[in-house]
Amino acid sequence: MIEIHDLHKSFGSLEVLKGINLKLEHGKVLVIIGPSGSGKTTLLRCFNLLEVPNRGSIVLGDTKLDFTNVKKVPQKSVLELRRKTGMVFQSYNLFPHMTVLGNVMEGQITVQKLPKEDARKRALALLEKVGLSEKADSYPHQLSGGQQQRVGIARAMAVEPEVLLFDEPTSALDPELVGEVLKVIKQLAAEGMTMVIVTHEMKFAADVADTIILMDNGHILEQGTPQEVLVHPKSPRALQFLNRLSGEAE
Amino acid sequence: MDDRKIQILIDTLLPLLKAGVAFTIPLTLVSFAIGLLLAVLTALVRLSSWRIPKLIAGFYVWVIRGTPLLVQLFIIFYGLPAVGIILQPFTAAVIGFSLSVGAYSSEIVRAAIISIHKGQWEAAFSVGMTRGQALRRVILPQATRVSIPPLANSFISLVKDTSLAATITYVEMFRTSQQVVATTYEPLLIYSEVGVIYLLFSTVLSTLQNYLEKRFDRYSAS
Ligand SMILES: Nc1ncnc2c1ncn2[C@@H]1O[C@H](COP(=O)(O)OP(=O)(O)OP(=O)(O)O)[C@@H](O)[C@H]1O
Ligand SMILES: [Mg+2]
Repeated sequence: MIEIHDLHKSFGSLEVLKGINLKLEHGKVLVIIGPSGSGKTTLLRCFNLLEVPNRGSIVLGDTKLDFTNVKKVPQKSVLELRRKTGMVFQSYNLFPHMTVLGNVMEGQITVQKLPKEDARKRALALLEKVGLSEKADSYPHQLSGGQQQRVGIARAMAVEPEVLLFDEPTSALDPELVGEVLKVIKQLAAEGMTMVIVTHEMKFAADVADTIILMDNGHILEQGTPQEVLVHPKSPRALQFLNRLSGEAE
Repeated sequence: MDDRKIQILIDTLLPLLKAGVAFTIPLTLVSFAIGLLLAVLTALVRLSSWRIPKLIAGFYVWVIRGTPLLVQLFIIFYGLPAVGIILQPFTAAVIGFSLSVGAYSSEIVRAAIISIHKGQWEAAFSVGMTRGQALRRVILPQATRVSIPPLANSFISLVKDTSLAATITYVEMFRTSQQVVATTYEPLLIYSEVGVIYLLFSTVLSTLQNYLEKRFDRYSAS
């Protein structure tokens, strides 16, 4: 279970997160939507401390971190949180000097200290799951964007995180490659993987989300089931955002 | 060219080559290896947030880059005995050249590390790596590839710079050629000959550089 309480984050004098509260049960999928610059990426990056919040707290399983009046988060807590989360990046960020298999094995070997053979077995199983068994010995630059992103998902899964974080996993992809990545994410959702996903793909969001939050200007504007947020939003601003999106889609 | 000169060229070729292989090349290799280690260390310290070590590293690079190598060699070999530190010519040369390689190459290594996209650090952190692990497994291997061409240049410069060791009495290839000139009275001939041997060494190294660059080209930078 993840619980975030009164989270604040500023870059210099710019306050980007202005008190975020949310809860996510194990096995559920949370989708974050909202206009550009509303703080979606920043919030997601707070989950694994790529950004360190200025105030508030994060609880993930038995790891509890309070940032209020804390100067420097202890390295031990940072690592603990990062080992319980996996992240899939918009621009994949695969390790270009390692093969696909190497990318997926790396965290298991360096971080979890697994024997090579065990790491290889788990990596191959994950590659099969994302449909890339035959690419195990390729290098990332030899793959299409969609394939690279699926490797990114396998890499994030390999360290057996409690939560997977996605930051617009398909927005760098050519339209015809979006489907193959979304399919993998949907499959993970069906298997009960806990996930937090930032996306602009509204149809996908409606399909996969248990909860959607709509962010605006550092606040959570709407929070609820896809039905509640996408079909019956309460605030006029949310309605405006959703209308603009569906306008663009047509 | 008359027969006598040709005979001198032939007679001196082997001793000169021998001096190159036995003295110039080892001096180059040892100095470069130590220098490279110093360079990586200096680069890492300068990229760290340790205030005092950073200042020291910055000072080191400033001094070495701002003074002539010849002056540094003279201080080490002729100057240090005044404070009781007496060094063998080889040791003094290795110290001088290593410090020089360390300072210049630390800038190469530092630039290479900075050139690696921030997303690579974040990807490493996101699978749970510490800074050290990220550096060792993800950043340095990529930085190595970026820095091979400029480092190879430093290496080739070093081969030629080792001729300065002649001035602190280390009998490497150039000093050997001076001794040959003293007995043959053929400066133009002998110095040209030794020049050609340096050219040969540099050419072999450039070929090696091309090979290394190709080998590291299995993946293209992202
Ligand atoms: N490292 C940073 N330094 C300074 N400002 C930042 C930094 N990261 C983000 N910001 C600012 O914080 C605000 C929120 O950014 P964020 O990336 O979280 O938005 P977003 O909702 O993900 O937007 P998008 O849909 O465009 O990705 C923006 O105004 C952005 O310019
Ligand atoms: Mg974003």
